[in-house]
Amino acid sequence: MSNQPSPEISIKGIRDGLLVIMGSGDYAEVLARLDAELAEKQDFLQGSRIALEVGERPLQRHQLAEIQHIFARHRLLLWTVLANQETTKSAARELELAIRLPGSHTDLDGNALRAAPASGSYQQTAEVAPGAGLIMKETLRSGRSVYHEGPVVILGDVNPGAEVIAAGDVLVWGRLRGLVHAGALGDETAVICALDLSPTQLRIADQIAIPPETKRRKAEPEQAAIRDGQIIAEPWQTR
Amino acid sequence: MSAKVITVTSGKGGVGKTTVTANLASALAMLDKRVVAIDADIGLRNLDVVMGLENRIVYDLVDVIEGRCRLRQAMIKDKRQPELYLIPAAQTRDKMAVSPSDMILVCDQLRQEMDYIIIDSPAGIERGFRNAIAPSDQVLIVTNPEVSSVRDADRIIGLIEAEEKGPGYLIVNRLKPEMVARGDMLSVDDVLDILAIQLIGVIPEDESILISTNQGLPVAMTSANGSSASHAFRNVAQRVAGDSVPFLDLTPKTGLRGWWKNLVNGR
Repeated sequence: MSNQPSPEISIKGIRDGLLVIMGSGDYAEVLARLDAELAEKQDFLQGSRIALEVGERPLQRHQLAEIQHIFARHRLLLWTVLANQETTKSAARELELAIRLPGSHTDLDGNALRAAPASGSYQQTAEVAPGAGLIMKETLRSGRSVYHEGPVVILGDVNPGAEVIAAGDVLVWGRLRGLVHAGALGDETAVICALDLSPTQLRIADQIAIPPETKRRKAEPEQAAIRDGQIIAEPWQTR
Repeated sequence: MSAKVITVTSGKGGVGKTTVTANLASALAMLDKRVVAIDADIGLRNLDVVMGLENRIVYDLVDVIEGRCRLRQAMIKDKRQPELYLIPAAQTRDKMAVSPSDMILVCDQLRQEMDYIIIDSPAGIERGFRNAIAPSDQVLIVTNPEVSSVRDADRIIGLIEAEEKGPGYLIVNRLKPEMVARGDMLSVDDVLDILAIQLIGVIPEDESILISTNQGLPVAMTSANGSSASHAFRNVAQRVAGDSVPFLDLTPKTGLRGWWKNLVNGR
C-alpha cells in the first residue's frame, strides 16, 4: 500500500552501544531500509552492540533471526530486543537475546522481572571471550550476579547477597562476604582468593562449603581450594 | 530557582521512610524553605496520617496525573508551617496508575515554585520504587541497624547506582546506643562498613516518634529541647540544606567516652 508511512529506521547512541528504532511500515521494506542504512553507515557503526526497539510490531522467531543475521552481516552484535508484544519477547528469549537494557530491572511495561540467574544479571560477558579473564573494578552489592565462563577478578568487595559464578578461578581484591562459585563447569583445581575471605558460602566445582561460625580474629588474605575432596581455606603465603 | 527532588527509600518496609519524609519535610520548612512532600505509595498511603493532614484530602496524586484536578488543588497546605505542602497518594488505586514519566512531569511542574520536593517511596524494588526515584536528584536511603534492612539497603544502592542516581546518602534510623554498647546491635560503623556511602543522619530510637506519629504531628516540629530524635531530624534537614552539622553525641550515659567519636568521625 502506498499510503503507509515510509519505513523508518533511526539509530542513536546509548550508554551500552547503539539503539536502533524500527518504525512502522511493511516488514520487507523496513528490512531493506535497515540493510541500506547499515551499509551506508558501516564504517561509523562497526563493532557496536545493538539494542533494537521494535515497539508494537509482532515478530516471529525466524524474523528476529533474519534481523539478527542482517546485523551480523554488518559486523554488529544484536543483544537486546525491546518489544511491547509478548510474542516478540518470547521469540527474543528463544534466541537468547536480552529483552531490556542493562541496569533496568523492569521490562517496557514497567513490570519487575523475575530474578533469572545469568540472564537476569547486569554483567553479561558478551564482549569478553569465554576463557578470557573478566576484571570488574567495582563493589558488587546485594542482588548483583556475575556469570563468566573463565576466571574473574573483582577489584572491590562482594557484599552479602551478591554472587559470582565463574568457570575459572575467582580473585577478590577486597572483602568477600557474598557467594562465590569457582570452577562452576566442574574444574576442581579452581581456587578462590580474597583479601578478607568471609563468604556466606563458597563453591568450587560441585563442592559446597560454609565458613565456621566462630568469630574471625583478623582479616587476612586467604585462598580456598579443594584438598582431599573438601574445600579448605588457608592463609595466603607470600613466597 | 529550581527545587531539589529528594527521594526517601529503603527497600525493606517498616524502617521509617514515612517518618523520615514527614520530619525532613517539616524540618526543612522550619528552615523557611518551600517544601512539598509527595506520597508515592499509591494504595497504601500514610504520609498524610503521619503529617496530620488526612482529613483535608480532596484530590490526590492520581487525580493530578489523570487530569481530574490541577496540581495546586492536590497540594494540601500544612496547618503549622506556611510553606509546607503534601500531595497525598490515592488510596483506592494501585501503583500501576502512575508511571515514572508521570512522576517526572509532576516534579518538573513543582520545581519552579518549591525549594525541596521530598518523595516518600513505597517499600520494595518494583514499580512504586521506580516511580519514586525517576524524578530524583538525590536519594536518601533509610536503614535500621539490623542485618536484613542493611541487606535490602545494599540492594537499593546497587539499583540506584545502575540508574545513575547513586550512590545516595544514608540515614541510620532507630539506633539504640545502649544496645550497640553491649554489642547487641550493629553500630553505625558496622552499617557503613557494608554500605560504604555517605552518612547524612543517625536517628536514635525514641518513644516520642510513636507518640507524635499517632498525633499526626512530626516530632521535628515539637519543642526544640524535647526529644533527641527531633534534634537529629533537624540536623538531617540542615545537612540536606548544605550546612555542616556535627553528629549528635549518642553515647550512653554510663561512660564509654570517645567510642562514638570513632564511630562517626572514623571515616
